[in-house]
Amino acid sequence: MNMDKVENTFFQRASRWKIIILLLILALIITVIISLNMGFAPIPFSDILGIIGKQIPFFDRLFDFSLVSPVNEAIVLEVRLPRIIAGVLIGAALAASGVLYQGVFKNPMADSYVLGVSAGAAVGASASILFGAGVMFFELRLIQIAAFVGAVSALFLVYNLARVGSRVPVTTLLLCGIAVNFFLFAVVSVLEIIAANRLHDIVFWLMGGYSNVYWQHIWAILPFIVIGIATAFFYVRDLNILAMGEETAHHLGVNVERSKLILLVLASLITAAAVSVCGLIGFVGLMIPHLTRLVIGPDHRILLPTSTIVGAIFLVLCDDLARVLSTFFGPMSTRDWPVGIITMLCGAPFFIFLLKKKKRSYGT
Amino acid sequence: MNTKYLVAIVVIIVLIASATFIYVYYNNQAPTEGLEALQHLVDDHEYKTSLTAYPERIISVAPSCTEILFAIGAGDKVVGVTEYCDYPYDFAEWLAEGNMTSVGDFTTPNLEVITSLDPDLILASGGVQTESVDTLRTRGYKVLVLDPTSVDGILRNIELVGNATGKRTEATELVNDLNNRINAVGEKVGNAAKPKVYYEVYYETTSSWTIGALAWQSELIEKAGGTNVFEDQQMDYYQYQVEALIARNPDIIVLPASGMGTGEQASLDAVKTRPGWDTTNAVQNDRIYQINSNIIERSGPRVVEAIEQLSEFFHPELF
Repeated sequence: MNMDKVENTFFQRASRWKIIILLLILALIITVIISLNMGFAPIPFSDILGIIGKQIPFFDRLFDFSLVSPVNEAIVLEVRLPRIIAGVLIGAALAASGVLYQGVFKNPMADSYVLGVSAGAAVGASASILFGAGVMFFELRLIQIAAFVGAVSALFLVYNLARVGSRVPVTTLLLCGIAVNFFLFAVVSVLEIIAANRLHDIVFWLMGGYSNVYWQHIWAILPFIVIGIATAFFYVRDLNILAMGEETAHHLGVNVERSKLILLVLASLITAAAVSVCGLIGFVGLMIPHLTRLVIGPDHRILLPTSTIVGAIFLVLCDDLARVLSTFFGPMSTRDWPVGIITMLCGAPFFIFLLKKKKRSYGT
Repeated sequence: MNTKYLVAIVVIIVLIASATFIYVYYNNQAPTEGLEALQHLVDDHEYKTSLTAYPERIISVAPSCTEILFAIGAGDKVVGVTEYCDYPYDFAEWLAEGNMTSVGDFTTPNLEVITSLDPDLILASGGVQTESVDTLRTRGYKVLVLDPTSVDGILRNIELVGNATGKRTEATELVNDLNNRINAVGEKVGNAAKPKVYYEVYYETTSSWTIGALAWQSELIEKAGGTNVFEDQQMDYYQYQVEALIARNPDIIVLPASGMGTGEQASLDAVKTRPGWDTTNAVQNDRIYQINSNIIERSGPRVVEAIEQLSEFFHPELF
């Protein structure tokens, strides 16, 4: 009887979760379609559909797509679409890694900055701007590779520094991460000082953004992000148990050290892949998990997938705004706003609104 | 008797001495016409500076200022330059030999070095240097800020520096010569059709930057017989959308070769492989050019060189 009830609520909850995820995926698809219309060049929606339809095998033989201008085709396929897809991937990556970091550290302020991952990427990118700009590597430029390598090495540095015997206590990890983070940003400042003429390049890169992302970049980061997030799903139960404390988790049969290591490596790989392309974009990794947690609750089994999708939707919408914001100031404006500014300008007030409204339930 | 002679001699000596003193004193003050100008030096930030004598120890904290000083023949009064100053001489060599003092980098001139050089005039540029300029002025240094927004502004600055350093004739001659060269280009390209020109400031995965109508490089393009493809944008340097560039279809792409430059230190070929750019006239007709960033980014006399080079890029058939 009692068992039946438990099982019943579980299935009820599971089906509710399925509906939530399906609705969010639907919202993401609608967002992507709307976003295809956003931008400087006025391209009719029918043309956009035609341009995309042309790319689908078999489908392209059913309709006549010859009327679409090659310029519009280039804009939709080579500029807008990669930008939107990159927004989906990067938003998902940052939000998912935020969930993992906050879950492992049990700290609401944890994000990719905490383990020095973002700072590592910044050092890698700045160094490559100074010492190896223009070098190509498998159709990717050195700057992306260097950012990725910097991010991953920062993680390994912090993890090994924080190791005490065979254990890696969360507190030492946090403190080492913060120390390394400061140190690495100091290195970035040193690089800026010796950069002379290339100072602007470093400053521009650090501002973040992914306006001019190529398909190559997307293919390069896609496996890391998709496989990373998918693998993390197998460990969401561990995250739930870790939330009860490492001691309890240990007694419940979780290999705490191994789970922590795997989750941190996954989170950092996902982040590294994202920041290698987009530089430093704030807010998404830190706030989207909180935002979803306020609405959905703290269970990581639903928190991880919803945060991932909400992060994707949020970043794509912010980037839409980045492209069309200027049209409010003048119809022919070609300005592109740095997306990192938009994420903070729009995200922070909304987050505070939610926090005020749900303050009580969040405290528990 | 003797006393009378003595008094007379003393009086004569005093008279001669005072006459000599007065003569020498007033001679040193001449030429009075230039000196008057020294008391009303107004710089680009509308700041009024007045000097009592022609400066003997000048510090330049921007490459553009150094170029102006040497171009009008005031170079022998320059005692300090920045590490980025490399024209008209290789100052790195001078610094190594001890013939010149470095006042540090462009963004943060070293105050201790400046103080030790005891300058009577400092030339600075605007932008990132504004704060340093305020500091220097609080410490009582005479600072002229050269922060022009147009080619005329650059020419006016050459005259301002001429007035400040007593090289008025040389400055006027230089300005006339530069004006003649600009007009010569104008006459050549005046009737030709104006190509749409895209000038790159920065391009990287993260963002892309160009110039709007308010940057004086836009005017250089205009004077060279082209049109900035973003000339309707009332901004100077700004982050633009690549799809806007592709939609506007530039005929010519100009990249600064180094310096502030481009993220991928754009080689001409790299530009062609950027997604979507192959639809533009510039890429299809292979009209992508590199220009020495120092001549097009520094607000000194060499901007005229930039105009001449640009005009040859835009209208090769006329040269």
